Amino acid sequence: MNFDFSDDQEQLRDAVRKWVEKAYTFERRRAAVDAGGFDRAAYGELADIGLCGLYVPEADGGTGFGPVEGMVVMEELGRGLVLEPLAQALIAGALLSGYGSEAARTSWLSQLASGESVLVLAYQEAQTRYRLGAGSTVAQASADGWRLNGGKCVLPVADRADAFIVPAQLEGQTALFVVARDASGVSTQGYGTQDGSRAGSLVLRDAPATLLTRDGQTALEHGVDIGIAAACAEAVGVLDKTVALTAEYMNTRKQFGVSIASFQALRHRMADVKMQLELARSMSYYATLKLNEPAAQRRRALAQAKYQVGQSMRFIGQQAVQLHGGIGVTDEYIMSHYFKKLTQLEMSFGDSLHHLGEVSQRMQDTAGVFA
Amino acid sequence: MNLSFTPEEQQFREQVRVWVRDNLPTDISHKVHHALHLSRDDHQRWAKILGQRGWLAWGWPQEFGGPGWSAVQKHLFEEECALAGAPRVIPFGPVMVAPVIMSFGTAAQQQRFLPGIASGEVWWSQGYSEPGSGSDLASLKTRAERQGDHYIVNGQKTWTTLGQYGEWIFCLVRTSSEGKPQTGISFLLIDMKSPGVSVRPIKLLDGSFEVNEVWFDNVKVPADQLIGEENKGWTYAKHLLSHERTNIADVNRAKRELERLKRIARDAGVYDDARFRDEIAKLEVDIVALEMMVLRVLSAEKSGKNPLDIAGLLKIRGSEIQQRYSELMMLAAGPQSLPLIPEAMEAGWQGDQVPAWCAPLAPTYFNMRKTTIYGGSNEVQRNIVAQTVLG
Repeated sequence: MNFDFSDDQEQLRDAVRKWVEKAYTFERRRAAVDAGGFDRAAYGELADIGLCGLYVPEADGGTGFGPVEGMVVMEELGRGLVLEPLAQALIAGALLSGYGSEAARTSWLSQLASGESVLVLAYQEAQTRYRLGAGSTVAQASADGWRLNGGKCVLPVADRADAFIVPAQLEGQTALFVVARDASGVSTQGYGTQDGSRAGSLVLRDAPATLLTRDGQTALEHGVDIGIAAACAEAVGVLDKTVALTAEYMNTRKQFGVSIASFQALRHRMADVKMQLELARSMSYYATLKLNEPAAQRRRALAQAKYQVGQSMRFIGQQAVQLHGGIGVTDEYIMSHYFKKLTQLEMSFGDSLHHLGEVSQRMQDTAGVFA
Repeated sequence: MNLSFTPEEQQFREQVRVWVRDNLPTDISHKVHHALHLSRDDHQRWAKILGQRGWLAWGWPQEFGGPGWSAVQKHLFEEECALAGAPRVIPFGPVMVAPVIMSFGTAAQQQRFLPGIASGEVWWSQGYSEPGSGSDLASLKTRAERQGDHYIVNGQKTWTTLGQYGEWIFCLVRTSSEGKPQTGISFLLIDMKSPGVSVRPIKLLDGSFEVNEVWFDNVKVPADQLIGEENKGWTYAKHLLSHERTNIADVNRAKRELERLKRIARDAGVYDDARFRDEIAKLEVDIVALEMMVLRVLSAEKSGKNPLDIAGLLKIRGSEIQQRYSELMMLAAGPQSLPLIPEAMEAGWQGDQVPAWCAPLAPTYFNMRKTTIYGGSNEVQRNIVAQTVLG
């Protein structure tokens, strides 16, 4: 039982932090938002420092790192409100290398690691909310492989991605497929989202697809759990910075002749904020360290983590805006962007209410970190 | 970074588990598992059983007769005791006064007092709070005046937990009114059988007698019962609090009580009610998150890297959780919690007004309101936490 980071992990953190501080300025981010919410060049820079291949085995051109490295990276990207969806690269890397056929691996893994191809998990449909499954997307065998019909919504990057990992019904089961965006019968509609990043919808009409795995439900659940752990870690980075900005502001802002950090009502609020921050960090560690457990324990732990982190994000986001006062609700000042990021992260991979339901459903007689 | 205990730590846990299973009297664990009243004898019996094994002094270094366990071993020991239904060790002797005696007492004081604490023979109480000094402890007024070889103590302490059983009491007393209130305080050990000491139990809202008023009327205390230097008592008391104490969170007991809550909810027929079950689920997440925080503190202590300053958080969260599970247990039983049956708080009650498990629920809920008040109220803890964030 140890929560220290290794020297290599600390170096990785420093490398990502340096990139964020030097290369990913608020101005660059704002320009990326204005240009649609996805900066392909920035994504390429992430790939250049090895982040897109974090969960891609070394033999396939990645670094073959594990969940702790994933967490460290996501925390730092969160701190800088990075728009580019690295969590999707983590999911794709793990799914392709863990479940993919040789064909799927060779076609996509090295391109994923190099940043040449952006792959995203497209699993949400308009009617499914956060439920995991194939939805109404259907796969059929064709002469040269598989054809998919259906559609997905609110998938990251969407019209600027190169390929999608898509769950679809196959012989009564959920199977996972890879679909290239430039294939026939594939259409996307992109849009910006509340936090400034890009997403969109996907329509598949007899679209040719490569089968990733017939055991798609298992893989999908695993992929989403990787997404949850990444979102929790990203949240911790966002929260850390949100709390630091708020504390700094409270010590600078003067009212009634004194800094507002001297008012006990506000100090106690900040104590509650600190509580939620540390609970979130604790549960992000928990999510990461449970990611390689057997599915039943993993699913329960990840739901517990996302519930706590979701609650923390909602509370701290709202309080940070409140404690900033008027400047907190402007677009110009950075705080509102942190708030919107927190809000969107809470609603990614299942919101708090969804995960409370998961925890409730999976509850057992004994509970605790090691249960 | 990893989340498993070492093979040695797991082996240690197993050793403790087997020993507790073989040595904890079942009549005592029955009471703990059902929140029934524990007598002085129950506490003493368990303390002496631990004392004989050398484990009542489980937090002590070897040089003073403790086992010299690591922070993780202490945690595992506390967890195994809690899960098995052992009564919480009355902390005033082994956890609170003993470390002060070890750090600041003379060799003679150590030889005189520590063995009786480690064996469980002597029941210690804590004399800190006064009627006018709660969260503002440094404003305390109980006076000790030096007269030759003695101090003459006059004043009143209150909220003295289980003081009606106490044989010795460690007190913060005022020896000077010069300077800041903190600088005139001394740390004095007082034999409660001394002439002039009187104890009056205070009946609490749940009908229990858990705390007391203690009066000192010209009590003669030998000067060799002063710990350290005169007027330095505040420093010693703070030293006691400054040790990162993860057991303040009481997370192990919370895990045991969560299991009990689930049993109660089943018996009451609300376990499958979605609205009620979600409340249990929230509490379950709270407990896992608290346990993770405790483990983070232990890890930091173990490695010496990145020390964590989150003791205030542990106290706030732990006490809120204790209140919440006692509240949910009462709500689970619904109207069956309402009949007031003091006899049902004793083991072996045979009445049939309500099922036996229902009777202690409301009293326990009422009793648990203390947890956010004692040990530095949660509002005082929030002041401390805010200091770490805002300066």
